[in-house]
Amino acid sequence: MLRTLALILAGGDSPALSVLTAERTEAGVPFGGKYKIVDFTLSNCVNSGIYNVGVLTQYRPRSLHTHLGVGRPWDLDRAQGGLRIFHPSPTPDGGGWQRGTADAVRYHLDVVEEQSVEAVLLLAGDHIYKMDYRPLLELHSERNADLTMAVRSVSPHDVRRYGIVGMGSDGKLDRFVEKPRRADSSLASMGIYVFRKQYLIDLLRRHPEADFGRHILPKIIGSTNAYGYNFQGYWADVGTVQSFYEANLALLAETPALDLYDPEWVIHTTSADRAGAEIGPQARVIDSLVSDGCRVHGTVIHSVLSPGVYVAPGAVVRDAVILNDAYIGPDAVVDRCIVDEDVRVGAGAVLGDSDDNTPNQTAPERLNTGLSIVGMFAQVPDGARVGRNVAIRPRTAAKAFPKDGVVASGSTL
Amino acid sequence: MRVVAMIMAGGEGTRLSVLSEKRAKPSVPFAGKFRIIDFTLSNCVNSGIFDVAVLTQYRPHSLNDHIGIGKPWDLDRARGGVRLLQPYIGRNDQSWYRGTSDAIYQNLNFIKENRADLVLILSGDHIYKMDYNTIINQHVRSGADLTVGVMEVPLDETDRYGIMTTDEADRIVEFTEKPKNRDKGPLASMGIYVFNAEKLIQRLSEGNDDKPRIDFGKNVIPAMVAEDVVYAYRFSGYWVDVGTIDSYWETSLQLLDPNLDFDLFDPNWVVRTRSEERPAAKIGPQARVTQAIICNGCTIRGTVERSVLSPGVYVSPGAIVRDSVVMNDTWIGPGAVLDKVIVDKQVVVGAGARLGFGDDLDTPNKAQPDKINAGISVVGKSAHIPPGISVGRNVVINADRDAEDFPDGDVGSGETI
Repeated sequence: MLRTLALILAGGDSPALSVLTAERTEAGVPFGGKYKIVDFTLSNCVNSGIYNVGVLTQYRPRSLHTHLGVGRPWDLDRAQGGLRIFHPSPTPDGGGWQRGTADAVRYHLDVVEEQSVEAVLLLAGDHIYKMDYRPLLELHSERNADLTMAVRSVSPHDVRRYGIVGMGSDGKLDRFVEKPRRADSSLASMGIYVFRKQYLIDLLRRHPEADFGRHILPKIIGSTNAYGYNFQGYWADVGTVQSFYEANLALLAETPALDLYDPEWVIHTTSADRAGAEIGPQARVIDSLVSDGCRVHGTVIHSVLSPGVYVAPGAVVRDAVILNDAYIGPDAVVDRCIVDEDVRVGAGAVLGDSDDNTPNQTAPERLNTGLSIVGMFAQVPDGARVGRNVAIRPRTAAKAFPKDGVVASGSTL
Repeated sequence: MRVVAMIMAGGEGTRLSVLSEKRAKPSVPFAGKFRIIDFTLSNCVNSGIFDVAVLTQYRPHSLNDHIGIGKPWDLDRARGGVRLLQPYIGRNDQSWYRGTSDAIYQNLNFIKENRADLVLILSGDHIYKMDYNTIINQHVRSGADLTVGVMEVPLDETDRYGIMTTDEADRIVEFTEKPKNRDKGPLASMGIYVFNAEKLIQRLSEGNDDKPRIDFGKNVIPAMVAEDVVYAYRFSGYWVDVGTIDSYWETSLQLLDPNLDFDLFDPNWVVRTRSEERPAAKIGPQARVTQAIICNGCTIRGTVERSVLSPGVYVSPGAIVRDSVVMNDTWIGPGAVLDKVIVDKQVVVGAGARLGFGDDLDTPNKAQPDKINAGISVVGKSAHIPPGISVGRNVVINADRDAEDFPDGDVGSGETI
C-alpha cells in the first residue's frame, strides 16, 4: 500500500445543524448513541491500516480535542505517525484563519512536505460511512494518478447539493461541477480525495483559491490525470438537522443499512467508564438504542439514547434523539426532538407539544418537519410546553422561558 | 508515607462451580460489564494508590488479559502502576503459593524494592467501595502494627467469618476463625489488612515448621494479635463476598433494587473496567425489558425481567429471561425460557429450550449438594444447549458441552452434564 497521510477536515461551522453546532464543530457531535461523528472517519483510517492521521480544526474545536485526546481509542497514540491536531495560528499580519478546504490544507503544507509519504488522503470529518480506503489507494497507485476521488450515484434531484463529476468508462474524470442546478451525470464526489503528495503541493502553490470543491477542482479536472473510484456502500452526510435525526433513527431498523455490530469493522470511540444501562421496574423501552450509563425509569419508544441519559418515572420519550447526560424529569414528554448534552427537562414539561407545524421563523428552510431541538445545558422549566420546529439555544436558563412556560411552534429561544 | 497495595487474586473459588472453572474468581464477570476485581482495583486508584501488585496463581489467563498493562485504571505508569506477581522458580527454591501470606512472603522483594512504609493487603473477590485513606489514616494515628478492616455481621452468621474480638478502644484482643459458639462478638474480618511494612517482613520471615506463616487468617493474624499492636477498622458500607453461587446470584439481582446503597453510577467514585468497543444496546419493537441491567452490544428482541445482561447478549424474539444473570455474547434462541439461571459467556441456548424448568427447587445438585441447592442452575462457558430441551433446577452444565452430551434430551433437577 502507498505510504499515506490522512488529513481529516473538521473545522467547518456547519450552520445547518442549528444549535447542535452552536458550541462545537460538527465532527464532535454525538451520533448513534455513544459515537461522535468523527469516529467513523477515524475508524475507517485505522481499519484501513492508515496510522498517520492529521485532524484539521478551526471552528469551536474544544469538544473535539477532548474527545480525540492522544488518540488512544483508535490506537493512534504512537511513536511513529499517530494522531496530530492541525489548528490555525496567526500570521504576522494578523491573518491565519482558513477560508475553505484548500486554504486549510495549504496552511499546513510545510508539515505535509516533511512527511515521507507518497499519498495524501483528504477526508471530511462530518460524514457517516464505513469504507476501506485501501482499494481506493490501490486504484490511485495502479493508474499512477495525480488525484483519485471517491464518487457515488445520487438521485438527480440531489445533484445541486454535491460536486458532480463526469467519468469516462476507464474511470478517468473529465469534468467537475460544484452544486449544479441540473447535470447530465449523477455521479457525486464524496469529499474523499487521494492526491499524489507532490502534485498536491504544487497544486496549492499554483492556485491560491480557498476551496477545493468551489474553486480548484472545477478548473483542473479535465486537464489533469484524475480518476473516480465508485463506492456504493452506506454513506450519509448528516450536515442538516433533518438528516442527522433520520440517520440516527434509521439505526433502529431491523437490519440497518449502517451495521454498527460488525466485528470486522469496529467503530472505535472513547468509551466512558459507565455501568450497564439500568432499566427500572416501571420502565418500558421498545424499539430503541440505549447506551451504557443510562437510567431509564419511564417510557422510551423509538429513540436513541446516548450514555448517561436519565429518564424519570412517568416520563415519555418518543421518536427522539437524546444526547449524553440529559435529564428528563418526572412525567415530562419529549416527542420528536433532538435534546443535546446535559439538558435538563423539568418535571411535567412537554417538548414537541401541539399539532401546529409552523416552520421555524428564523430558519424555515432547516426546521420545518416538526422537529424541535434543544441546545446543550439548556434548562427547560417544570411544566413548560414547547411546540414544534422550535430551537432552544444552548445554556438557555429556565428564567428565559415565558412566564406561562408556553413556547409556540416555530419560535427560537 | 509510601503505600503499596497487594491484591490476592490467585484463589480457585471452588464454590463458584463452573464460573471459576476456567478463570480465577476475581476475573468472573459481575454487574454486566465489570469483573469482580474491578471494584478492588478501582478502590485503589480512587484512593490515590497507584502502586498495585496483583498476585495470581489459579488460571490467570483471563485475569491477565483483563488487567493488561492497567490502562483502564490509569495504572500504566512509568513509575509504579500495576504489576502481576505469579509463582516463580528460583535457583534454590520453587513452590506454588501455599496460602495468602506465603504468596506475600515469596514477593517480599516487591515491598522492599518499592521502599514501602505500609502494605495494604486486599482480596480480589469482594464487591465494595471503600476509600482506603480512611483505614490508612486510622492505622497511622493509632500507632498500630496491623489494622484489620472489619464489619459488623449478624451474630447468627458469625460462624461463616473470621471474627475479631476487640477491647473498648477497638484493639483486637482475640481472633477466632468461624467460631461455633457465636460468643466472640459481631466484627468480621473483611480480608483488608494494613501492615507496617517492616513488621510484615519481620513476621513473615520468621516462619518455620513450628511457626507456619502460610495463611493470614490461620497463622499470621492470630500470632500478631498475641504479640503486636493490632487494631480493627470498622467499615459500615456495602460489602459482599460473592464467593458462592447463591451469593453471586443474589448480589447480582440486588443491584436491580433502586434503593440499594451501592451506586454504580456515582461520578465521584467511578468503577473502572476494560470497556469493550460495542455499540449501544438495541431494544427491538417487540421487546419487553423491566428491572434489568443491559450493557452495550446487547440486542433484545424478547422479554427480560429482573436480570443482569453483560455486553453482547442476544435475546431472540419470543425468548424470556427472568431472574437470571447472562454473561457476554451468549445467544438465546427464539422462544427459549431462562428462569433463575446463571449463564456464562458465549453460551448458545437453542430455540425453545427451557433452562430452570419446573417447581422442584429443593433437589440439590447431586455432585455438589453443598454448593448448588437454592434452585439456581448454572451453565458453563461456550456450552451449547440443544433446542427444545428442558433443564431443571440446581443443574450444572459444564463448559463446552455440546448437543451429543445431552443423549436423553431433557435434564432433571439436580443433574450435572
